[in-house]
Parts: sequence; C-alpha cells; structure tokens
Amino acid sequence: MADRPLSVALRQGGPIPLDVEFTCHSGEVLAIFGPSGSGKTTILRSVAGLYKPSHASIHSGADTWTDTETGTFVPPYRRAVGLVFQEYALFPHLTAVHNVMTALGHRPRVERRDKAETLLNLVHLGGQLSRRPSELSGGERQRVALARALAREPAVLLLDEPFAAVDRSVRRRLQNEIDSLRRTLDMPLILVTHDFDDVVRLATHVLMLEQGRAVACGPIAALMSRPDLSWLREAVGLGSVFDATVAKRHADRGLVELTFDGGTLLAPARHVDVNAAVRVRIPAREVVLATSAPAGLSLHNVLGGTVTAVHIDAAFETVVVQLAVGRVELLAEVTRDAVSRLGIDVGRPLHALIKSVSIELVASDGSHTGDDGR
Amino acid sequence: MLRLFGLPDGVTQRPPTIAAAANLNFALTEIANQFERERGTRVEVVFGASGTLTRQIRDGAPFEMFLAADEEFPNQLTAAGLTRDGGAVYAIGRLVLFAPNGSRLKVDERLDGLSRLLNAGGVTRFAIANPEVAPYGRAAEATLRKHGLWDPIRSRLVLGDSIAQAAQFATTGNAVGGLIAYSLVKEPALADKGTYALIPQTDHPTLRQRMVLLKQATPVVAQFYHYMQGPAARAILVKNGYEAPR
Amino acid sequence: MDWAALRISLWLGAGTIAILLPLGVWFGRLLAVRDFRGKLLVEALVTVPLVLPPTVLGFYLLLTFGARSPIGQAFQSLVGHPLPFSFQGLLLASAIANIPFVVQPIQRGFEAIPSDVRDAAACCGLTPWQQFRRIELPLAWPGVLTAAILTFAHTLGEFGVVLMVGGNLPGQTRTLSVAIYDRMQAFDDRSAGIMAATLLAISVATLMTTTALSRRMSPSRG
Repeated sequence: MADRPLSVALRQGGPIPLDVEFTCHSGEVLAIFGPSGSGKTTILRSVAGLYKPSHASIHSGADTWTDTETGTFVPPYRRAVGLVFQEYALFPHLTAVHNVMTALGHRPRVERRDKAETLLNLVHLGGQLSRRPSELSGGERQRVALARALAREPAVLLLDEPFAAVDRSVRRRLQNEIDSLRRTLDMPLILVTHDFDDVVRLATHVLMLEQGRAVACGPIAALMSRPDLSWLREAVGLGSVFDATVAKRHADRGLVELTFDGGTLLAPARHVDVNAAVRVRIPAREVVLATSAPAGLSLHNVLGGTVTAVHIDAAFETVVVQLAVGRVELLAEVTRDAVSRLGIDVGRPLHALIKSVSIELVASDGSHTGDDGR
Repeated sequence: MLRLFGLPDGVTQRPPTIAAAANLNFALTEIANQFERERGTRVEVVFGASGTLTRQIRDGAPFEMFLAADEEFPNQLTAAGLTRDGGAVYAIGRLVLFAPNGSRLKVDERLDGLSRLLNAGGVTRFAIANPEVAPYGRAAEATLRKHGLWDPIRSRLVLGDSIAQAAQFATTGNAVGGLIAYSLVKEPALADKGTYALIPQTDHPTLRQRMVLLKQATPVVAQFYHYMQGPAARAILVKNGYEAPR
Repeated sequence: MDWAALRISLWLGAGTIAILLPLGVWFGRLLAVRDFRGKLLVEALVTVPLVLPPTVLGFYLLLTFGARSPIGQAFQSLVGHPLPFSFQGLLLASAIANIPFVVQPIQRGFEAIPSDVRDAAACCGLTPWQQFRRIELPLAWPGVLTAAILTFAHTLGEFGVVLMVGGNLPGQTRTLSVAIYDRMQAFDDRSAGIMAATLLAISVATLMTTTALSRRMSPSRG
C-alpha cells in the first residue's frame, strides 16, 4: 500500500488550548505523550472527527477530513479511522463477534461474519466469539476493541491510552502484540499515553505535549536525549534510546552482546535471538562518568566518548552531561559537585560506566525481551 | 368480552346522552329503562351535580337534554342561548334528615335531635351536598340556617360533590347523618341503612326541578323530553319521593 | 363490570403510549445528549405535570379547548364536536399529563450510555440513524420500556383530569377509574368492587411485567 500520511495541524485558544502540528507516515508509530489534561485525547478525537477545534487542518493522504479554512468537515462515520478507546467502549449488548461486525458495514453482508472471526483470531480471541463484553477480561476487551478498530480497514489507527485499564502483566503482552501487529499494518499509528513505558516500547516518533502545545516532536532517539525537557525529566527520568543488534549470546553467563554505532554492550537477556534488532534504553541516572578507564570493577560496560554538551538547570540539583559515543548521544545525570571535581566541560574525553543490569532492552522486531511477563 | 376491543365510540354511533342531577340517580334510570322497553330506543344518562353539569354543557359537553335539581342552572343555559326553550318543571324534590343505623343522631323534621347532639358535641361529621354546585346542598344550607344550626355545624360539614356523594357519606356511617334527597333514600337498597325524617318544604326554597332540551337534541331525546311529562314517568317520580309539579 | 369503561381505559393507555413514546424517545434522547441554553427550564417544564394537581391541567385544557374559547370553536368547526368531553380530548389530556412519565425514564436510559460508546458507534462507520437504531436504542431500551409501562399504569389510574376534561360520558370518556366513582355514587358497591379489583389486578400485572422484562433485557446482565 502506498504511504498515506496523516497530517494534522490544530490550533485553538480554548476551552482546551491546542497548538500542534505533525505528520505521521505509514509504518510509523507516533506517541503523543504528556501529563493528563494536556490535550492528548482531544487531538485523537479531532482526528477521528469527534471534536472540532476552532482552527484545524487534518488530511489523510489526498483526503481532507477537516479544514476549518474551507469549512470542510467529514463526519466521523465517513472517516476511515480505527479508534481504540481508553475504556474500550465496546457495545455492551453485543457479543465480541457482533461488536467487530458492527464496524464491517462497508463489506458485503455475507462476508462480515467470516471477516470478524478472522480479526478476532488475529488478536487471539477466536474462542470467545459469542461472549459479551461483561464476560471478558480487561485484556480480552482491549483485543476486541482493537479488532473492531481494524475491521474498519482504517487509513489511520488511533490508540487512546490502550493499556491504562489493564494490569501490568497483561500490559506487557498487549504491548508486544500491538508492536508486532503494527509491523503488518501499513498505516500511520497514533498512540496517546501518559506512561513512558509505552513510548519506549512502541513509538518510532514522539510528540511531547504540555497544555495542548507541542513542546517537542520528532524521532524517539533524538527526543529522548534532550535534557531541556524538564517535565520529562521529572516524570520519567532522562535516558538515551538507540537501536542495536544482538551480536552474540552468552547463554552460560545470562548475557547478550549488543553492537551499536559506537561500540558494544553486555546486557542481561534471556530470550533474544542473535541478529535480532533491539532498542536500548539507558537511564541517565545509571551512567557513571570517569576521567580514566577503571580497572578491577565488576563492570562489563565501559564506553569512551567526548562531552558534547553540559545542561545545567537551576530547577534541578543534578547536571546532565551529553557524551558522544560513536554516533550515539549518551546522557549521564551527575551532581554539580562531580562536574566541578572532574572538570567536565564540552570537548573533554570521558568514560561512561554502565552496569549491565541498568540496560533496558526493548524488542523492536516483535521478539521478546526477558521481562515480558509471560 | 368482544366489546373490549372496539374503539371508543365515534361521533356517529354515539348513543344520545342526557345529563341529570344526582338526586335522579335511581328514578331516572328506572324511567330510561321503561322508555327503552316502550319505545325501543336507549338514552344514556350521566349523573352529576347540577352546577358541574351546567359548567360542562357550557364547555361543550355533548349532552342533548339536562334535568336539573333547580330552575336556576337550566335558566342560565337558556340565557346563554344553549337550549331550545325555557324547558319545563318536571318534579319537585324533597329533602330528608338521614341517620345511618347505629348513629347517635335521632331524626325528626324539626331538627331537634340534631340540635341536641350538636350542643352535646356529638356531631363529628354531618353530610350535605356542596351548596355551590348542588341545589339540594343549597336547600340543606337554608334548612340549617332556618333552625339556627348553620354556624355551629359549619366546621363539622362534609360536602359531597353531588347529593349522591353526600348520601354516600351519610349512609355508610362516615357521618352521623346528613341532609339528603328523599328520592335517594326511597331506594330499597338504602332504605334499610338508617332512619330518616322528611323536612317540611317550607324550611327551604322549593326544589323545583326544571329540565331543558339543548340545541343539539335529537328526535329521540325530544321524545324522551315529552315522555318525562307523561303519566308513566310521573308515576315513577312520585314512587321515588318526588311531588308532581303544580 | 363496565366493559366499555375497561375498553376505554385500555385504549386510552395504548393511545397515550402510541402518541408519547416516539416523542419521548426523540425528546428524552435530545435532553440526554445535547446541551443547550435553557435546558434547565425545559427540563423543569417537562416535569411540571408530575407535581401539578391534575385539576390545574384540566382547568387549562378546558380554558384552551372549551367550547367558549377560539381554539375550541375552531376545533369544533373542523371536527364537528368540541375537544373536551371526547375521547380525543381525553387522549390529549392524558398525553400531556404523562409527559414526565415518558421523558424522564427515557432520558435516564440514554444518559446511562457512556459517551464513548456513542462515539465508538460513529467510529465504526455507523450513520447517525444506524447509531441510534443499533446501539443507542437497544441500550436505552429498559428506560423506554419503563416509560411505556409507567404511562400505561398511570393512565389507568388517572382520575382528576379524566373527570374534568372527559366528563364521565359512557362509551367515550368514562374510564374504569371514573366508572368506579360513578358506581359508588349510584350505591352500586358490587360493580365498583369488581372494577376496583380489576384495576388493581391490571396494575399489579403491569408492574410485574416491567420488572420481569427489564431484568431480562438489561444489557449489563451477560
């Protein structure tokens, strides 16, 4: 399928202030991330046509869905949008399969049941076709909602806090399923969340929202290493996110060797295959800086690099040091005292020390990391 | 049972309906039945207080004839141009003091028993028809006034919407007694429910009961109007305690 | 037993439902879904017949549609008889008196539907009519059913307005409740007793049916 990008520009002063502009291409996962009340859901609702901002321009490929300039507004039921609601919003009086069939009105009547069953099989609910929502668990409801959203054969898939209502263990499994599913779906996917875990695990792009305003927007790797986003620092802590490949497995030691644009890392992992692509996140608090490479430590990972920036924020006790390791920007959060003791400044070569257990591995090709909760 | 499923009567199949004062409840039903037997046509009778029925007629109720308990109400309708003519007096009604079985009220035509019981504080409730809408209530008021009982008894009165309801109150033991229509207590069903004394006609304005044919009266009802003045109807009226008009 | 009165009572109940239910569904949904200026006033007006003595309603109806009013005269010249003291007049009075019994349960029924579910229906590609027909109406059904039953039961029991506007005309406006009154006045306690028992039985049966049906149709139950 050809790329059918979703481009969105929203602007209004109230009642919910909005000022965002973004484009999401097929295959991309844009995470709209921000604290509650920042207008995340309003953006999704605007895309779906459930909300009409005072100034808006929303296009899906060549189709105009909303354009307040020309007065164009396509009602929600004529937009090819798949929306998974936060509380799933299943139709309580209909069985799982009829919930999905409701969204298949564009298909000939005779095909609907088969198609709905296929979709429910896809989300592993083939055995619960005739259950009503009240007879399904939280995770199962979420899957029905997902199948129903996909049934529409949408040009864009919207997920509103899709994991907020399920418990932690189910959440991991669903995250992985959505991650593998979206690779087979050639459409833009927008995910609204206030949980950074979702962003790290699923997003290719991030839109950071604060009171309806986009404070940052771009590919995830670039955004994660921006220490100027103070609230992000408060909320989840800074960290570096970059892609790597599994080079080797040391099954006996319970470790895997990862190569990236800047060196190799040893990380604990039980279930990754060799050559698998993974996403690595290293929290800035877990990185120790040293002026010389130490010896005699239990440490596996010592990376050499050069300081490219030092971020001092009066609002924080700590200082964020940005270190170029090969082509990866690594972030380290240290005290002001350490900065002056070590004489850290831009251009200075330093060593970054990282404990293996501090490295978070996120599957980025549908395979599972060690802590997926199964 | 089949009648259950038919639609409410339309305009065309409506049986002729006449309105009658509540004191006629038994007498007029008997006369209407007699009329039906003799002439083979039926008239429906709706009973109520003369004042209430007058109001309904003025508001457009589809009655074809009105038999009142006095002359004033039908005269109002005549003045409003709703009747064929001034109509005719068909009967003179009588009032009785009634006490249900077991009541402490001793009945007499001079109301002495009522007066004594009232002084002794023994009158809890005393039933008359509402003087505003029922001529028999008006007659009851006049009677009580004449004996100087109106003011002391006022707070004890229960007012029936019509003389039939007042009789209901008086005969079921809900009141120590009442001033009600003679025609109602003549009914065998009520006669054994208590004792009564006929009030002299001089105690209140005469209950000259007038009937009028309304403008929309059909020939059947016009026949009934004449039938009311005939010997058969008169006989039934007299049997039921009315006097023939002079 | 006055079969004609029972027949009129049943027809009045059914007729009131037939008139009010479609209107009630439309209006109840409007009140549940929309916000508009003056909504509070509209809601109060809808509820007024609930707290108003029936005689007030009767008074205004007679005043508006009586033979002495211009509207009443216009109606009479059109149909041939005045609106009061006719079954149609009774139906109109009954419809007005029952507005709150219809609108309120239906409004609650539609209000109970989460707005997300309504939005989800739109996002599934259902047109507004399909959303209403396939999602909202089935979910609001217990409210609609309650409205119908309440109206029916209330119509059977209505007395004040019926007597005032209807005038106790046999075969036309004499409902069972008025017939009981009428029989009482005629000292016919036997007939009054039979009819009272009939009315009691119908009312109990009606309410039992509602409870049973609403239990069976409640969507929250599996």
